[in-house]
Amino acid sequence: MKKINYNDKGSILNPLKNLQFYARKPVTEPLGPRDASASYRGFHINDLNKCIGCSSCQKICDNAAITMVEVPSIKEDAAKGLRNLRPAIDYGRCCWCALCVDICPTSAIEMTREYVHTCDGDETDSYFIFPKETGIHGDSFEKGWTKTEDSDLLDRIRRPMGEMLSEARIDNFDEIVDGFTLEMAVQEASRCVDCGLCEDACPAHMHAPNYIRSIYEGNLEQAVEWMYETNPFSHVCGRVCTHICETACSLGHGEGESDPIAIRWLKRFAMDNVSKTKIKQIARKGKARKKSGKSIAVVGAGPAGLTAAFDLVKKGHKVTVYESLPKAGGMTRYGIPNYRLPEDRLDQDIEVIQSVGVDIKYNVKVGTDISMAQLYKDNHAVVMAIGLQMGRSTRIKGSDHKMVVKAVDLLRMIPKGDKVNVPKSAVVIGGGNVAMDIARSMARLQQQKYGEVNITLTALEQLGKTFLADDEEVKESLEEGISILDARGPKQCVIKNNKLVGLETVKVISIFDAQGRFAPKYDEEDLQFHQADMVIEAIGQMSDVSILGEELTEELEWNRGRIQIDENGHTSVEWLWSAGDMVKGPDVINAVADGHRVAKDIDRFLNK
Amino acid sequence: MRPENYQAVKLGDSNEYEIFIGPNHPGIEGNYAFRLMLDGDIVVSGKADAGYLHRGFEKLMEGRLWIQNLAIVPRICVPDPAPMEVAYSMAVEEIMGIEAPIRAQWIRTMQLELSRVAAHLFTFGGHAATTGMYTPMFWGVADRDLVLDLFEDFTGGRVYSIYNIPGGVRRELPPEFLQKLSNLLDYLESRQNDYDNLLFTNQVFVERAKGCGALTQSQALELSVTGPNLRACGLAYDVRRDDPYLVYDELEFDIPRQKHGDAYSRILVRRDELFQSIRILRQIIERLPSIKGKIRTPIPNPLSWNVRKGEAYARVESSKGELAYYVVSDGGDKPYRVHVRGPSSMHAVQTLEFLAKGARLEDVAQIMFSLDACPPEVDR
Amino acid sequence: MSKHKEGHSKSYEKLKSKTTLKEILDVAVSFEKTARDFYTAMIPKVSKNIRYIVEELAEEEQQHYDLFLSLKNDPYVQTQLDERIKTPTENHKFSDYVQLLDLGDNPDDQTILQYALAREDAAMKQYQDLADNAPEGELQDTFRFLAIEEAEHKLELEKKYYEIIHSGGPGN
Repeated sequence: MKKINYNDKGSILNPLKNLQFYARKPVTEPLGPRDASASYRGFHINDLNKCIGCSSCQKICDNAAITMVEVPSIKEDAAKGLRNLRPAIDYGRCCWCALCVDICPTSAIEMTREYVHTCDGDETDSYFIFPKETGIHGDSFEKGWTKTEDSDLLDRIRRPMGEMLSEARIDNFDEIVDGFTLEMAVQEASRCVDCGLCEDACPAHMHAPNYIRSIYEGNLEQAVEWMYETNPFSHVCGRVCTHICETACSLGHGEGESDPIAIRWLKRFAMDNVSKTKIKQIARKGKARKKSGKSIAVVGAGPAGLTAAFDLVKKGHKVTVYESLPKAGGMTRYGIPNYRLPEDRLDQDIEVIQSVGVDIKYNVKVGTDISMAQLYKDNHAVVMAIGLQMGRSTRIKGSDHKMVVKAVDLLRMIPKGDKVNVPKSAVVIGGGNVAMDIARSMARLQQQKYGEVNITLTALEQLGKTFLADDEEVKESLEEGISILDARGPKQCVIKNNKLVGLETVKVISIFDAQGRFAPKYDEEDLQFHQADMVIEAIGQMSDVSILGEELTEELEWNRGRIQIDENGHTSVEWLWSAGDMVKGPDVINAVADGHRVAKDIDRFLNK
Repeated sequence: MRPENYQAVKLGDSNEYEIFIGPNHPGIEGNYAFRLMLDGDIVVSGKADAGYLHRGFEKLMEGRLWIQNLAIVPRICVPDPAPMEVAYSMAVEEIMGIEAPIRAQWIRTMQLELSRVAAHLFTFGGHAATTGMYTPMFWGVADRDLVLDLFEDFTGGRVYSIYNIPGGVRRELPPEFLQKLSNLLDYLESRQNDYDNLLFTNQVFVERAKGCGALTQSQALELSVTGPNLRACGLAYDVRRDDPYLVYDELEFDIPRQKHGDAYSRILVRRDELFQSIRILRQIIERLPSIKGKIRTPIPNPLSWNVRKGEAYARVESSKGELAYYVVSDGGDKPYRVHVRGPSSMHAVQTLEFLAKGARLEDVAQIMFSLDACPPEVDR
Repeated sequence: MSKHKEGHSKSYEKLKSKTTLKEILDVAVSFEKTARDFYTAMIPKVSKNIRYIVEELAEEEQQHYDLFLSLKNDPYVQTQLDERIKTPTENHKFSDYVQLLDLGDNPDDQTILQYALAREDAAMKQYQDLADNAPEGELQDTFRFLAIEEAEHKLELEKKYYEIIHSGGPGN
């Protein structure tokens, strides 16, 4: 670099140096628009099929340039996490910073290399655009700024949940999962983009975005407050819920590896780390000061019944719950094993509900110890929520032997403390979650008594395709030494000299017909014999509606075996409502949602 | 002049009269007003009237998430936006206690130096225009456009790159980029003679610029002058050398300085600085391919990102002087307070008033441009 | 069950002794009528929550009755029969594994469905046997057609059985 002397006077011939420019090419720039660079931040495009309407782009835009508009032609599906909202951008406000592109969970919104738009005075509205797959003017420009792994602003990997190894857990009913630490919970909660798809998907519309945010901020009590607005069974759901919210989570929709937020484990973390006293305080909030003078009877102390009772007591009514078993909880206690849901956590949920003022009468069987007519006489309304406590049987040949039992009956015995006849080897018929529960429970009992596991599970469905049980259950049960034989149908229970020796099965070639209805085809030649001292049937369940009594049964309207109800759970008999598994199902969170609906309807009815 | 501020005062008999330059005036860089009391064509006193470019950035930033501020921070200084982004990111990183990875630091240095080159090319034209010479403006802006092309290539935006993020940079360099950069530097070096002939050794310009707006070193220090303006007074103070940040302590470069502190010295310092920047860029081109690694330290999901309580003061050497960001966090997801120490605040207000006293009317514009006082930085 | 027990062996003889198409259809019609009446009589005897099963069974038998009656009186009956025999329905062995039971006083839904399945199966086998033993011609075609009808009916019942019995419980 040439140094210039401050005092240099220069030469008088200097201007002549300009003559050289006649021989040189002019420095110039082209006038028309030229191609932009490969990562240019031009106008937006949006893949309307990838976009799920989560509104993260709207939230991060610092100029409030993005508005979410409803597109009626796009199909909404709350359970899958698909909204019919799509972003529209005001280019008068947009600064083309590409933060929206980098935060989009599904990489739907991107920027192209297009950058020219002009309009006359009348057409200024043309600056407000709705990005689609084609560009602002309908041309296809090449893509400019798109999301890369470096620019991705989201944290896509779930914090791992530790689990007990199968060798450690096989001889006990201790809870399998470790749970989050505070650090892990805060990190997991920080991944949330607050889109609310989880809240829409949840049958009870739990305020998941709010309690996730509270956990992130370290305010666990506030998180529990948010949970109790919609779900008094938060200990239970924090462990065994079917987490429809996680299926809908926008983080789970990403390309490549992208895990949904572990909403269920976060709920478990918050509930475990707030004291029982505090939770009772939270549960009591909003309870009516005055008593209404109305009383309601609830039959069945399961999630549906107790949620309805909880809501109604808080509105000032008197509620008595009649439970035929020694303890409350229904299937959550007498169906779900301890290694998935420890009893003391369930006890706490129930204790909190009772502390609000719900009166539960145990060991009282309605229909036997007290009639429905009596309940109606003593109360203004009655809620039937007895669930599906009776197991179905295949009634194949030999199934009336005493060593052929139903899964729900066995599962009920374990928490009751009844002595279970633990067979050295057993075969389970059925492939749903109940079959898994009984198989894994029996495996533990076998390990405790005999030191080894010998359980075979046969199901009509095919693993990996039509199998009903959760993937986690299948994986964990295989780890625990249970052998699963899929696509096999039960033929007969073989009995020799009055002793049950095993189960015969045939191969299932196909299960569903072209219309998707059950129409199994068997291969008779492929016959297998499974040695077993006990056969356990877990093929289906039904409700013991005989407790209603003949008169009430005749009075009610029925719908294909279940009591007919309207959308609020109200039956055709004016004073009777029904909720939970017995009329709808299929899981705890739906039962809770049912309980809320029924309580709301009863309250409205009583206040008329 | 706002009508409510104007009180008609009957002065005694004198030769003095008041006019104002700006806010819209070719002799003013940006939007800025300057009230002059003149006696003939000598300025008796001057009063700076800032605020026409006040967009309320410091308040705006308090209402936006940490990540959203990235999009508005470059707009505080229009010709030289990169140091704004880098200083903000550095301040937030300091509060968070994280560091950008080494490759990101090299890329940031490259971005800063390129931005300095672009800003100085712009300034040459501006300064020359105040002396009535308009050709350097066209040359400067045209060459700057080639630099902006490079910015477009690796950051995605030409002027406001919005490329930095606390934790690093947002995008990896495209392939062949360093080759393009090298070609551009060759081109700029080849233009050195042209610029020298046209502007820097052009006696018409030199005679105008010499002696105009002269500052002594002690006056400069008292007025808080920094940057090329201070270096033109003889003091080789440069944040890159005296308080190294990013990777400047690994790079070789000189700090150019001049003795006389007038407009001509200042533009000479800028000229030398431009070529020092080219020298730094060449070193970066050589070193960068061998520096591997990530370009970003992960930060939490920006929609739920609480920066812990703390404060930080991060300063960089921009083309105008010492630029600093003072960021205060109260543990929330938005800044509690952000203060920008724009170097032009000192130059355009007190220095300009000081230098205007006794100057000729036609030199006032030149003084402002030679100080490279950029009103967007003053008003924010 | 007693009515049909008698029907089993005696009706076989009854059918085998017929030769004309119309006479065969007469017997089929009377069978469907018997079943329909049996189910209809059961309607008030079962509990209201499962009454819908017998109601639907009675309805289906009524439809069969109507079909066979209309066939009997249709002049173009022969063409119809041919078509049916060319596309037989498959015979799944599902009902094989379901036992034939005595219905008793207060049958539950599973018992009723098992009985209905057994009945359809037996009827189907019956017509099948007749078809195998009949000489080629109008007679054999008639028996084939009746066998296919019963097989279809049985298939529908199997689907209904699964929907009711293999349901209820978490996730179902």
